[in-house]
Parts: sequence; C-alpha cells; structure tokens
Amino acid sequence: MKRVIAVALILLIVGSFAFAQGGKEKTDEVQVVKFWYHFDNPETALNPLIEKFEAENPGIKIEPERISWDTYNQKLLTSIAGGYPPDVAQVKLWWQPQLVEMGALLPLDDYIADWDGKDDIHDRIWELTRHSDGKQYYMPLQMVILYLYYRADMFEELGLAVPKTREEFLDVAKKLTRDLNGDGIVDVYGFGIRGARGGHDWWGTFVLSSGAEFFDANGNSKLTTPQAIAANQWFIDLYTKHKVSPPTTPSDGFVEVIANMKSGKTAMTIHHLGSAKELEAVLGDKISAAPVPKGAEGYWTSFGDEENAIFAATKVPDAAFKWASFLAEAENNAIWQKSSGQVSVNKSNASADADRFLKATTDSAEFAGVLPAHPGVSEFVESLWPALMQQAFAGQITSTQMMQSIEDHFAK
Amino acid sequence: MGQTPLRKKRDLLPYALVTPALAITIAIIFLPMFQTITYSFSQYILYKPQEKGFIGFENYKAALSDPLFASSLLHTFVWIVSIIVFQFLLGFTTALLLNRRFAGRGIARSLILVPWVTPSVITALMWRWMYDGNHGLINQLLAKFGLIKEFIPFLAQTSTAMGSIIVALIWQGFPFFAIMLLAGLQAIPDELYEAAEIDGATKSQRFFNVTIPMLKPVILTTILLRTIWVANSLDIILIMTGGGPGYSTYTLPVYSYIKAYKGMDFGYSSTIAVLLTILLMIIVTGYVRNILKSQED
Repeated sequence: MKRVIAVALILLIVGSFAFAQGGKEKTDEVQVVKFWYHFDNPETALNPLIEKFEAENPGIKIEPERISWDTYNQKLLTSIAGGYPPDVAQVKLWWQPQLVEMGALLPLDDYIADWDGKDDIHDRIWELTRHSDGKQYYMPLQMVILYLYYRADMFEELGLAVPKTREEFLDVAKKLTRDLNGDGIVDVYGFGIRGARGGHDWWGTFVLSSGAEFFDANGNSKLTTPQAIAANQWFIDLYTKHKVSPPTTPSDGFVEVIANMKSGKTAMTIHHLGSAKELEAVLGDKISAAPVPKGAEGYWTSFGDEENAIFAATKVPDAAFKWASFLAEAENNAIWQKSSGQVSVNKSNASADADRFLKATTDSAEFAGVLPAHPGVSEFVESLWPALMQQAFAGQITSTQMMQSIEDHFAK
Repeated sequence: MGQTPLRKKRDLLPYALVTPALAITIAIIFLPMFQTITYSFSQYILYKPQEKGFIGFENYKAALSDPLFASSLLHTFVWIVSIIVFQFLLGFTTALLLNRRFAGRGIARSLILVPWVTPSVITALMWRWMYDGNHGLINQLLAKFGLIKEFIPFLAQTSTAMGSIIVALIWQGFPFFAIMLLAGLQAIPDELYEAAEIDGATKSQRFFNVTIPMLKPVILTTILLRTIWVANSLDIILIMTGGGPGYSTYTLPVYSYIKAYKGMDFGYSSTIAVLLTILLMIIVTGYVRNILKSQED
C-alpha cells in the first residue's frame, strides 16, 4: 500500500510539472494584443484610449502592462530571448539596431502603405525612425527635443542674455554661480549637469556640436580627433575647473537635476517638454526655455523619441498594427500626449498657440539628432557613458582616455 | 539477505516524501546553476543571437586580464571584510548590553531588529536621501554642529561612495549578529560564571575564559553565514550608486549584474558569477575545515 502511495506521489509531482504548460492553447474569437508601455506619471490616460479602441474594434482586446522605465529595456530583451515578447511595445530609437539584429521586429512597410494616417505624420519623424536597412519597423508615438531651461528671473537680475554660443554659455554659467548670503559657500550653480545614467544628452549638446562625431559620412569614428578630445575636455571643465555644476553632479540623475532647478540650486539645465509642467508649477514665470547654445562647429541636441514596435513573434499582427496605428492617429495621439506631456507626431496636431516651451522645441527641430544606429549604443547609454563620465569628473581618467574608450566600444 | 526486498519496499516512501523538495530544488537551483556554468563557456550576447556558441575558456581568460574584474574583486574583498568586522563588533556590544538587566529591555530587544526587518530597497533609498549632497539630513546635521562648511556629496565622490554604502550595510546587518549572539549568551549556564567567580576570576577573565569560548560556535557560524550573504548582496549598491561614481563601487555581483542587464552580455556575466562562486567556495570550505572542525575537536 505504502508503495502504491509512494509511486502515485512521485507520478503526481512529475506529472504536475509536465502538465503545467498545457491548457493554454485556446483559440478564442477575441484577439488579445499584449501591450507594454512606460510612463513617468502613474496617472495615465491609457485606459480611456483602450476603451475607445475596443469600442471601435470589437473582437480585439488590449492587455496593457506597465513596466518600470529602469528595467524596461532589460525586460524587453529578455522576453524576446525567452521567446515570449509582447505583441506591441513602446520602444526607443536607439534600441532599434539591437532589436533588428535579434530579428525581433515585424517590418511594417506593407501595413503603413495601406494606412490612411501615414501622411499626417511629420516627414522628419518618418526619416529619423526608418532603420538603416531601409525598412520601417517603428510606428511613431511621440517626440520631444531637448532644449535649455533657464531661470528668467536670475538672468534679469544679473542683466544676462540667453546664451547663443558655447562661449556665451560658459560666461553666463560662471556669472550665475553665486554665493547669495556671503557665507563663502556657493548657493546657486550656473548649470545642472546630469552626471548619472541618461546624462549623455547633456554631454552631446556640447561635445557632439564641437567636432566629435560617432561616425562620419564614411563610417569612420571621429571621437578621438584633437577637436573631439578638446570638446570633451571643455565639458569636463564645466564641473572640475569652472565648477558651474553642483558637487553632486556625478550622481545626479533626472530626479536630482529637476529637483535642483525647482529648489533654485541651479539656474540652467537641459531637458525637454516632459518636465515643463512640473517646473512651471513650482517656478511659474521664472522658468523659461530656449534652444541649446551652439558648439564650436554647429548645433546638436537630442531628439527624444518614443515609438511602438510590433514583434515578429506575434500571432495577431493585424490587430497589433491596428492598435499601434490607432495611437498614431491625430485624435488619439493628442489624448496620449496629454499624459506624456510630450509632442504629438501628427501634423494636424501642431498647435498655433505654442507656449515658450513648445516654441523652444520647434525652434530646435532643424538640428535635433539621434545617436548612431549601432547595437553598442544601448550599453553606451546604460552603463559605459555614466561610468566614464564619472571617472573623468573624478580625475581618474583623462579626456583622451574617455574618448578612446568610447571609440573602442563602437569599434567592437 | 532475505530481508533485502522488504527493506527496499519500505525505503521507497522516504524517497517519495523527498521528491517534491528535491524536484523544486533541481528546478529552481540546480538547473539555473547548470545553465550559468554553460553560459560562462559561451559567447552569449542577447542581441547577437547568431553569434551564440561555445567558446571554451575565452570568457575566463578575458576576466583574468580585465582590470575592471580585478578592481571589482578588490572592492568585494574590502566590502566583505569591513562589513563583517564592524557588524560583528557592533552586534557583539549590543548583545552584551541587551543581556544585562535594565528597564525596558524587552522593548530595546525588539527595536534593535528594526534595521534587519526593513526591506533592503527601503534601507537603500532612505540612506541615499540621508547622504544627499544638496538636501540630505546628514549634511544638514554636520553643518548645524559646525563640523562642515560645505555639504559633502557622499555618493558622488569616488573617495566617499564605498565607505558610505558600507556604513549603511553595517547598520542594516548588525542586529542579526546581536540577536544570534544574544541567544548564545543566554544559553551559557550561570554555574560556569559562579564557578569562575569562586575560583577568583576577575570580570575580564570571566569574559575571555568563559563567555568567549562558550560563544565561539555561534560566533563562527554567524560570521560564515553573514560572509556569504554580504558577498552576494547587490541591491543596496545598485540603488545607492549603481556601481558609480565611475567604477568605484563595483563589486563582483554588481559587475555581473550590469554586464548581464545593461550590456546584455550573459556569457561574460555568468563567468563573473561562476568565478565569485568558486572564490566563495574556497573561502567557505577552508573556513569550515579549519575553524569549525577545530571547534569540534
């Protein structure tokens, strides 16, 4: 008897593992589209959009999953490697080379050709989001362009003009760095640099506009030319020599940089529309915006993008495209931007009554750039740039060593 | 000999009872472990699935000539030693204090556990804000008492970042030592102290000749457990500095994590993890063999 129980027990245990995977293969009438997204603000307008979509498209159900931004990229890549990606997911342009190399994305050219909304998307967005193999994998969702935030009140107090060039910028940053109460301690710093992850946009504004280039027209690196190294040194000096950025710079992330602007610890920083509401709520008219200053050789600012991608593993490609294109249509895209605080991708949504932040955005549109389409960009942004920048700020490596390491990384 | 078949029948039940635990252990411990070892001999970069394949000892060779691996190893060593030493000293002192009779001892014994029961994530976020270089509590207190003029960016300087995290971890882990040692102290029979007192032993003699020897097994086991936990801990560093500034707070687990989830290089990341495991196993087996064994003799 005991033996029978024992054998039954073993069978039960082993069997439960074997059958654990079963039972999922149900062919439903309703097509379910799994959608991954991330939002800075938890009070999102996603539910109304889903309700609207499901009412317009009976037979399709959207299953949204909100993923935290910190782990978004890693979860997406592991889900693809594990064989169970979502059907549609919000994606960034600089992930595209990796995702294409993994064979994870569904080319959308045929779908887009039949889609009525395609002409209402800004042409520049189609250009920027098309992959280097000529195919369109991404459906536009939102855009921002990074610009310079400045404290209008402090500029007025000191009689300063908004800097147009790198030299003017350094000059005002020095003047804005002040000890207000005469205790020998600096109370306001001219410029808030983001030294932690994500700060490559601050760096790019001054370094990529002054001679440094990831790849020139012939595909050669121009990161270690004398001009590029000098440009990087100029940026390092902002913190180490001129001390126009707070001592906490190497560990300052997005939260700290914005908190410092709000508390008046810094007088200028770089960011995009996404933080305009928040800053205006605290600072009112004291905060204003302008395009970033010009570097030694031209302008560079970061085109901040979000798109939706459809994954090759999806079993419901038609429904997935319906959802991705739904979000890119003017009326729905406008609803989306209400919660993202960013700019619509539709021509018909371009508003006439642009405020100063939107104006700074559109004024920068001509020279906004993106990081190169290279599978190494992701690691550069996520871990290499912050580590190198922080070492350079600490004086552990020179400008040359930093630029050489970046060049080596992209040569791999 | 005639009894063997009967024994066999009877012996099947224990196996059946062990099966669930064993199956779960295999599924969630041994399989991933085996997979990690396999990965460590492979080129496996998540976004380059075409290049996936066996590469022998290449990753290991790369690790041994990788300066970042060497510095992470050094940080891991500093990390373990400083944390264990201070946690032990602080924990032991606390245990001795809590073993005395005083009013409110019960409350004190419960309160001392607060750092230990606080989730790591909360501990890390709390300390991060306390250390903050612009608005942090520690800077404000230091400035108030006139100890500093300018705020110290604790987590933004390579010279202070590691030390600051170590302090946070000492705070978090010392109650474990305190409670374990307190339990050990209470298990020492009073008769031993009485006998020592009759023999004319002074207070310090009683401490070194009765308390310490009686407590030794608890001390050694606790140190062993904490060493393993501390060596593997990663959450607090990740949240407080993410390994920065620069690479100044990279320990081996942090390096392995960042390689895997920021660089998507699972092959090399696994190699780092395997090497850490081997190093830990050498330390642990050496420790168990030499020190714990000498206890038994």
